[in-house]
Amino acid sequence: MSKRLLGLLLVLPALAVIVLLFIVPLAASVVGAFEVEGGFGTGNFIKSFELYRADTVFTVLIVSLSTLLIGLFSIAIGGYLTLGENPRAVAILRWLYRWPMFIPFIVVGQILRTFLAKNGLMNNLLIGAGVITPMQATAFLDWRGIVIAFVWKQVPFVALLVAGAMASIDRGTIEAARNLGASRLRILIEIVVPQVATTLLVGLILSFVTMMSVLSVPLMINAQSPTMLTADIAFRINAYGDYGVANALGLISLVITSGVAWIYLRHTMKERA
Amino acid sequence: MTKENFLELAEISAGYGASRVLDGIELTIAKGEFVALLGASGCGKTTLLRAIAGFVSPSAGSIRVAGRDVTRLPPDKRGMALVFQSYALWPHMTVAQNIGYGLKLKRHPRAEIARRVGEMEKLLGLDGLGDRKPAQLSGGQRQRVALGRALAIDPEILLLDEPLSNLDARIRLTVRHEIRALQKRLGITAVHVTHDREEAMVMADRIVILDAGRIAQQGTPEAVYNRPASAFVAAFMGAENRVELWGQPSSGRFEIESGPANAVCTVPLDGRPLARGFVEARFRAEAAQLLAGTARDAAPAGTLELSGRVESVSYPGGLWRHAVRVGDDVVLVDAGMAFAAGDAVKIRIPSDVLFLFNAPAASSPAPIRSRPGGEKSRSLEASEA
Repeated sequence: MSKRLLGLLLVLPALAVIVLLFIVPLAASVVGAFEVEGGFGTGNFIKSFELYRADTVFTVLIVSLSTLLIGLFSIAIGGYLTLGENPRAVAILRWLYRWPMFIPFIVVGQILRTFLAKNGLMNNLLIGAGVITPMQATAFLDWRGIVIAFVWKQVPFVALLVAGAMASIDRGTIEAARNLGASRLRILIEIVVPQVATTLLVGLILSFVTMMSVLSVPLMINAQSPTMLTADIAFRINAYGDYGVANALGLISLVITSGVAWIYLRHTMKERA
Repeated sequence: MTKENFLELAEISAGYGASRVLDGIELTIAKGEFVALLGASGCGKTTLLRAIAGFVSPSAGSIRVAGRDVTRLPPDKRGMALVFQSYALWPHMTVAQNIGYGLKLKRHPRAEIARRVGEMEKLLGLDGLGDRKPAQLSGGQRQRVALGRALAIDPEILLLDEPLSNLDARIRLTVRHEIRALQKRLGITAVHVTHDREEAMVMADRIVILDAGRIAQQGTPEAVYNRPASAFVAAFMGAENRVELWGQPSSGRFEIESGPANAVCTVPLDGRPLARGFVEARFRAEAAQLLAGTARDAAPAGTLELSGRVESVSYPGGLWRHAVRVGDDVVLVDAGMAFAAGDAVKIRIPSDVLFLFNAPAASSPAPIRSRPGGEKSRSLEASEA
């Protein structure tokens, strides 16, 4: 009995931290989403849908598109690192691809804001190279800018996971396919990617959740309407002190990320079965 | 090209970085022949197989198949299929998909792939397992799927990289015969890498023994077993017992002088290039005869007799194995009856199972070696015989 008590005592500090810093604020936020003047109700959600339906769709589309592109780019990078036959090119890529991982989102936003603006570096380069005329130059500081920023920042992270998983698969499975005449692209798609699918999925889901919570990039690149839910939440709180709608929007983001987490859980359950 | 030189390796050298793994390998393999590349780990046998398959490009030399130079061709353009040591089955594909993948790559129609996969499953005893994933198969079944995947594309040459090393000892024995029977039935040319002497003996038409990137000897299992060309081959083929003797050739015979632990003996030279000096004598534990030290009958002509003392006895099954101290060496000798530790014994080795080689340093003066016979060793009273 005393032993059980001691065990409980030992777990208590960790448990208290989780309860106080994680569960209580989350619960307060969830409860807050249903608090309306003089009681509880769904008023905040009705207001959220009226005002921010377009932004919700915009957020899901942007983050989904970014996730898709992140997946493609990280497969390409991991694939080249695994199957590339030019050792120098592989070494250069291995050295280069990780850098964006160490740059904060706010700095990414700042870099891309100056790079993608109408008079930014990208357009200057394109005009200088004669690809476009100054009249054709347009700013990319809209949904495209956000997608570029997200992909730029998240590809290294997913590529790191995927390349690690690819490096640890049995080289024999690659050589056996080569032996039978498979091209490198087919080996990547039919042999390598299926074997790292779980790792890829985990990386993409973590990226999805991260992107759902980034505030700095939409604020830096695209603060006009439509924008992302994070920007709306910040706006509700900073401009109106409207915690009710902010909490409701937060809960909507949580539902979206939970949906993705559910896909992941279902997949891992199926693997184990 | 003729049937005899179907696969030709000429002056193949290869290495990783500065280290040289293969050094001027010359090998010719006939169509339908089963050749085993035998050697200890690190001798270059797997590198040689990978060079033949096209996964390692040799730094020098050429590989020809049916007169066609394939040295610089990619692995799939050589008409060869490789079976990997780990089997390297694709875990996300079913057995049928694994076997049929090579045909799918060759754009065969779906019905034909299904027919061929069915044939392979039948041939290899995998009926009814087509929808399973590799993880649901036993080791022996996986091995057969790997074989089926390689054979499905109908290769001219089958390359096997230690395909049995991951199997249980008992299954391994039957799979050896299965692979050999299959190879004979299909008439396919096979190159098999192994470090298991018995496996090579049982399966191959010809054994190629590799040592430090060179061919130490090649020949039929009987030839390599009974007429090893060097002390290394003799030791590798099981003649681990080693004693040092002194002798000289004389008109087609080799005269072994008496030493502290051996009697005078003359054996046929039999074409061996033995020179006057120290020789390394090697023999197998089961090839020698063990007698009590008190035995008075003379050894038959041409039989080497050693005297020693039993150090320990064990029973590995069938025969008793004795560790016998002969001079400074300890040799293992099998006998039908057990001698006790400490017994004085005589070991008789007939000339046809006694392998003699000039000791590598025989030409240079070796101060440690003194010519035997000069002084009697006190510990070997039995050497009076």
